[in-house]
Amino acid sequence: MAVGSGYFYVSYRQALAVFDTAFKKQSLLALAIAVALFPLVGSNYQLYLVNLCFIAVLGSLSQNLLIGYAGQVSLGFAGLFAAGGFTAALMVKELGFSAFIPVVAAASAVGALLGALVGLPSLRVKGLYLAISTLALHAVIVYGASEYQQKFGGSAGIVIPKPSFGPIAIDSDREWYYLLAVVAALATLACINLVRSRVGRAWQAIRDRDVVAAACGIPLMRYKLLAFMVSSALAAMAGAIDAYHAGFVSVEKYSFLLTVQYLAMVVVGGLGSILGSLLGAFVITLLPFIIDFTVNIFPTPERLVINVLQLQRIAFGVTIVAMFILEPRGLVALWERVKSFFQLWPFKFMLSGTR
Amino acid sequence: MSTSQPLLRVHNLEVTYHRKLVAIRNVSLVVPAGAVVGVIGINGAGKTTLLRAISGFLPGEDAQITEGDIVYQGRSIKGLQPHETCSLGITLVPERDKVFPTLTVAENLAIARWRGDSNDGKGRRSIIDRVFEWFPVLAERRGQLAGYLSGGERQMLAIAMALLNNPSLLLVDEMSLGLAPSVLASLEERLRAIKEELGLTVLLVDQFASIVIRMSDHCYVMENGGIVFDGPPERLLAHEDVREFYLGMTDSAQGVKSYREVKQYRRRRRWYG
Repeated sequence: MAVGSGYFYVSYRQALAVFDTAFKKQSLLALAIAVALFPLVGSNYQLYLVNLCFIAVLGSLSQNLLIGYAGQVSLGFAGLFAAGGFTAALMVKELGFSAFIPVVAAASAVGALLGALVGLPSLRVKGLYLAISTLALHAVIVYGASEYQQKFGGSAGIVIPKPSFGPIAIDSDREWYYLLAVVAALATLACINLVRSRVGRAWQAIRDRDVVAAACGIPLMRYKLLAFMVSSALAAMAGAIDAYHAGFVSVEKYSFLLTVQYLAMVVVGGLGSILGSLLGAFVITLLPFIIDFTVNIFPTPERLVINVLQLQRIAFGVTIVAMFILEPRGLVALWERVKSFFQLWPFKFMLSGTR
Repeated sequence: MSTSQPLLRVHNLEVTYHRKLVAIRNVSLVVPAGAVVGVIGINGAGKTTLLRAISGFLPGEDAQITEGDIVYQGRSIKGLQPHETCSLGITLVPERDKVFPTLTVAENLAIARWRGDSNDGKGRRSIIDRVFEWFPVLAERRGQLAGYLSGGERQMLAIAMALLNNPSLLLVDEMSLGLAPSVLASLEERLRAIKEELGLTVLLVDQFASIVIRMSDHCYVMENGGIVFDGPPERLLAHEDVREFYLGMTDSAQGVKSYREVKQYRRRRRWYG
């Protein structure tokens, strides 16, 4: 809904549109053009970084659906990401099957299945207890994966060939860029539509007050499990795509730190907001590189060179803390504040009920 | 209460929490169709447990019905899930957290229409318009987050949400909680009008006895997990104990009784009741 803009729907089609106002349409068009043209100006390294962000978008969307919308705190992300990666590895190595789309679909299916499994405790436990029980899944999957890798894979991991669509092989960063941009855009669109559908409403209701949700007739069990399945399928999909992008799968990558990183994305970006997921994914992925870049601009005194890495970690932490002091509800709230300032200017606030 | 088949009949109910704490015992009550039945009792008397048992919220609280039965429209609803009792037409207005605070009023109402018949677009519009007629303030605050509503508005929203469920039996838990008497009076009046208009049956549970006595056709008094008294509101009003301990009225010349006497009364009831 457009805030205080005097923009009114005159048909149901308008009311149902994702991009309802002219401003949204124009900015979407501008964004699409910018994304399409970026490879012409960006270096390969920059494209590579944006590719990482696109993969992170998939993961953070998955986390936001589960934690931000359905309100089920889960720490099993790295496990599901690993499940996606190792499903791809298994299919490539054991079955000799490496077509991109079927492998990614299979990884999603495995993710959904595991999601149903990890979601089962959510019917009984909430909050921190649930978080710990999902952590168990991570341990189990990573243990299984590392056993497999030790026995059958190489020490460096399992190599996954570059995907190709007919004659077009996805090889360079530029080709990956276009593929990942399309995948991320489709996933984002799917999530936007999902959270404003009946299912998304049910999730938000359960997140807010599960008793009232049940009193409204929402079957809690079904929708909690569905949230776990959808989120896990998306996480595993991200894992499989990431495996293709990296070109190999190795168990070291799927540490608990990965879960924390993705958790940081949704929290920094803004819980319960798709835009927040996008912002969080980009900021958390790029921030270390930006800090790195900034540090490198200044000449480092010789005796401090060894400490630069620590310095970067400190800078990362300080930036996150500063951001939370500035706006506790995440980047998306910051954006909302800026937006409403310009929409209301020169007024300070709008009359209640005009929204 | 000689109707051939009441809408709801609770028979000899016993509810146990955590397998060791018996919250209510031997509770039987009858809710005839179209009536307002009230239950009064102090904190911890088992009123909310009774409503939880009827609407199916016990398993989530690690409690279970250990004896007795609940019969709704001629079939047992013991052990049904909350959404199942809801689809039978039993809707609970919970005691505290009764709205979705991070969603707007309009979104709250949209979720409340979860069960609404989706094939008839017209019917759904008219019920939401009627809800806005009954509670004009909700129409005004449609775009506002429910978390920013006042207590009275929240209660209105909760009742509106319950009505959108298209209930036959409305279970209202502690409607008076945290409301000023004047707000409560207007809410009471509106609920009565809505009840007449929709032909609802209401089970009203409250510790604020005067509202229950004003609104209901038949009253039950709960104490220590059991029903100690029941009858039409006039008989309750005439009952000396009820007058004294729930309404704070006294007929005796020495005025209001002391706290000590109240304690003694309660102890007596516990022993003999």
